[in-house]
Amino acid sequence: MEQGLVVTQLDVQPGECVKVKGKISSDAKGFSVNVGKDSGTLMLHFNPRFDCHGDVNTVVCNSKEDGMWGEEDRKADFPFQHGDKVEICISFDAAEVKVKVPEVEFEFPNRLGMEKIQYLAVEGDFKVKAIKFS
Amino acid sequence: MFEMFNLDLKAGGVMKIKGHISEDAEGFAINLGCKSSDLAFHFNPRFKESVIVCNSLCSDNWQQEQRDKHFNFHRGSTVKLVVEFLGDKFLVKLPDGHEVEFPNRHGYDNISYLNIHGGFKVTSFKVE
Repeated sequence: MEQGLVVTQLDVQPGECVKVKGKISSDAKGFSVNVGKDSGTLMLHFNPRFDCHGDVNTVVCNSKEDGMWGEEDRKADFPFQHGDKVEICISFDAAEVKVKVPEVEFEFPNRLGMEKIQYLAVEGDFKVKAIKFS
Repeated sequence: MFEMFNLDLKAGGVMKIKGHISEDAEGFAINLGCKSSDLAFHFNPRFKESVIVCNSLCSDNWQQEQRDKHFNFHRGSTVKLVVEFLGDKFLVKLPDGHEVEFPNRHGYDNISYLNIHGGFKVTSFKVE
């Protein structure tokens, strides 16, 4: 996937929220929002797939440690559509990371026990319009 | 230091940056360019001197400074800055309506890198 916006040296604490607003392209095959420590150490790789890697309309979540992917977690819900403007809200605590998009909340375990988010990256067919920290 | 890569801001692009100036801020800087050692625009309000210093940086060498004595930032406040990339220059619109201009000296046609450091905590970042 094409590398998009990368933000580093963040200091997002448990209970705080990172909101990423943007637009899914009208011919999107997929996109991902990654949060963690750096590109090789991810608390969460959140990857909605419209049609890529053999998946159709599936959200795939994973973690990455020392550059190695963990076990993929496929979600039942797929609340995304081509051309949509969406707001994705990510928050976490010691046990899990939550991703809220309108009407659906995804949960994924905080496998690496990460205590803050320092890195945010967006890849693929998603154009970032705004990032908020609260 | 808050750092952004792959920004892809072209002429006509506008950024809105909202943040909080810390109580003990000596100043802060918003830097735009292609990497930390090559900056098209360094925007640097300084509390001690009550001045906004602007400059550009080429291969880690600072160029000619431009100073604006209009200074209306306050420690402990939340501010919103609008930064426009107009092709031949950068324009910063301050909360009190004052505008700071700085020429695009090195002919950048795309701003891919941003960093913000000093006593300024980013709470919101928008691009148009």
